[in-house]
Amino acid sequence: MATSAHNCDANLLHQLLQDSLSEQQEQWLSEHLEDCQQCRSLLEQQAGGVSEWSHVRDVLRSEIRLQVDRPAALRSTLLPVDRSSLGEFPPVSAELNIDDFAVDFLQPSDRTDVLGTLNDIEIHSVIGQGGNGIVLKGLQPELNRLVAVKVMAPQLAASAAARMRFSREAQATAAIVHPAVMPILTVHSDGQLPYLVMPYVDCETLQQRLDREGALSAVDVLRIGQQVAEGLAAAHAQGLVHRDVKPANILLEKGVDRVMLTDFGLARAVDDGTLTRTGIIAGTPQFMSPEQARGDAVDTASDLFSLGSVLYAMCTGRPPFRAETTYGILRRVTDDSPTAIPLLNPAVPVWLSGYIGQLMHKHSEQRLASADMVAETLRGGLAHLQQPLTRPLPAALQSHHVRPWGRLLLVAVCATVAIAAIVFRPKGPRSPENTGQSGTQASVAAESRVSDSPTDSTAATNPSAAATLPEAATQAWTTSLDEDLNQLSAEADTLLSAPLFAE
Amino acid sequence: MPHPKTRHSLIVRLQDERNDQAWDDFVVAYEPFLYRMATRQGVPERDVPDVVQQVLMAVARSVEGWSDDGRDASFRRWLSTVARNVVIRFMTRERRQPSGGGGTSVIDLMKNVADEPAASERHRYDHELIVWAAEQVRSEFLETSWTAFWATTVDERRVADVAAELQITAGSIYMSRSRIMARIRGLIQDIME
Ligand SMILES: [Zn+2]
Repeated sequence: MATSAHNCDANLLHQLLQDSLSEQQEQWLSEHLEDCQQCRSLLEQQAGGVSEWSHVRDVLRSEIRLQVDRPAALRSTLLPVDRSSLGEFPPVSAELNIDDFAVDFLQPSDRTDVLGTLNDIEIHSVIGQGGNGIVLKGLQPELNRLVAVKVMAPQLAASAAARMRFSREAQATAAIVHPAVMPILTVHSDGQLPYLVMPYVDCETLQQRLDREGALSAVDVLRIGQQVAEGLAAAHAQGLVHRDVKPANILLEKGVDRVMLTDFGLARAVDDGTLTRTGIIAGTPQFMSPEQARGDAVDTASDLFSLGSVLYAMCTGRPPFRAETTYGILRRVTDDSPTAIPLLNPAVPVWLSGYIGQLMHKHSEQRLASADMVAETLRGGLAHLQQPLTRPLPAALQSHHVRPWGRLLLVAVCATVAIAAIVFRPKGPRSPENTGQSGTQASVAAESRVSDSPTDSTAATNPSAAATLPEAATQAWTTSLDEDLNQLSAEADTLLSAPLFAE
Repeated sequence: MPHPKTRHSLIVRLQDERNDQAWDDFVVAYEPFLYRMATRQGVPERDVPDVVQQVLMAVARSVEGWSDDGRDASFRRWLSTVARNVVIRFMTRERRQPSGGGGTSVIDLMKNVADEPAASERHRYDHELIVWAAEQVRSEFLETSWTAFWATTVDERRVADVAAELQITAGSIYMSRSRIMARIRGLIQDIME
């Protein structure tokens, strides 16, 4: 690898531990760490001081020694499973074979440019496929209308619950007529494989766009967010909670600014109390609300949290909560604050990141009032970005309403610094391949925070958003950073002098 | 969370609304640890919820002993200390007379709760806390990441050997073991505040 010492970036190490690196950054860092002893030591110091590594190691070791005397039920579940079973990961769900599918499901056609027919629809091509089914592009010759046909995957069609979900999607969507909601033309739920017919729109999903481009400009974030909020407001007005708001369910029509919300398959009537427990297996954990992740009852406020997560993803290019397993994601959704948006993309206006923070409040009753109001506020924010002189920032976006992320983050980092000194009593200077001194821990962590300031952050910046960033916003952030840094030292002092666990 | 509904009924209303919130946050963070701790102390499964409730009640009833020291998070820090001392009391009792049916009383648990426990007892508490946090964190990571963490950190084997054996890169081991360590610390921090 051609990485060398002058490429070292302490920010990346800090961000790794916050789970806020992009895949490319992770890849780069992984290769860099193999060559760079200095960064390896620094990373280990940031994860825990020398004494903490050795304390955790000693505890885990003695736990394993003690286990021998314990009844099986009382043993910890810490030991790695036998190495021989490591290769047996669950198989990735098999994708549909298009040819088999065409033969089994479509009626043959005389025309060579057509895959087959499905009742009155000539199927021309496959638009996409996934675990839940396949989406086909077709033509209804009698109406001369292009349609998209969503066919349920055969393994799901065997399940009565999945079929019910499919027809519920059709019913729910039929009740909502709105430009920001993808309509359903017809539904066939009782055939061999159930399918839905929708108008064909040349579009991509927001997920595809984010995968390709990363973070979007503030203008696009507001424009898309506003329309999604309008679509949600239309659903909420019908007494429906979408429950699966995520970038893959948001369609962006090509060439025009139209945005459509789709896939109401998980939608539930607000007062349908019998089905709340299925939430955990239903939606996508990365964009779930905390109450949904816990399996509690959800209402329209849950959709607002998910909308906040989608806005977050548009601002930063990544979902707010990430972990290696579904369980890990669920835990983060319920327990953690996401990395502050300004750290990932300093170009995002502070009033926007603050507003997203309000939408993503852990307690549903403290989120913003309604999808209607959110749409209106985002519309006002968009107008302000486009015409800052004539259109003032909406009151709901002005700073005294907005909870600053920076403050939260600082308190968290500060507590981390302090806890290093409090929880773990020094024992012996041992740490894996680590030559650091435990006494330097606090200062190392504090320094890494300082260098996280937006001015020298390495997070991807978006040129078009930077162009529209109001100067006052940058200033506000810088000022609050200074205040926060003062607070950091004060709070670190307080925490360090706390009596817990001190010798 | 096993019994979210019990937490409000446990405690006399605190005068200060902020402290109500601090109590709720504390219970949310602490309750899972208590369940695991009680199980590992050998409390029969059917009695575990009672024991957890008793410990939380003992902590809640000790609220009178709190006085604001004027520093940040005073109430929360106090809760963490009292909870630790109550749990240590419970563990010590449990060792002497293992409960056949949750015989520990709240009053017993509250005795001498302000006394600083002996170093060996605090050590046992730290041990339980770290083991619990590590168990939680394990389920958040892929088995390969955990195995690599264990092999290189606990067993102190060479990173290169483990990487070859698990067919992953050394770089990914450096990254995942530090992330695991940082998460274990984070969970303990949630409890200690
Ligand atoms: Zn380096």
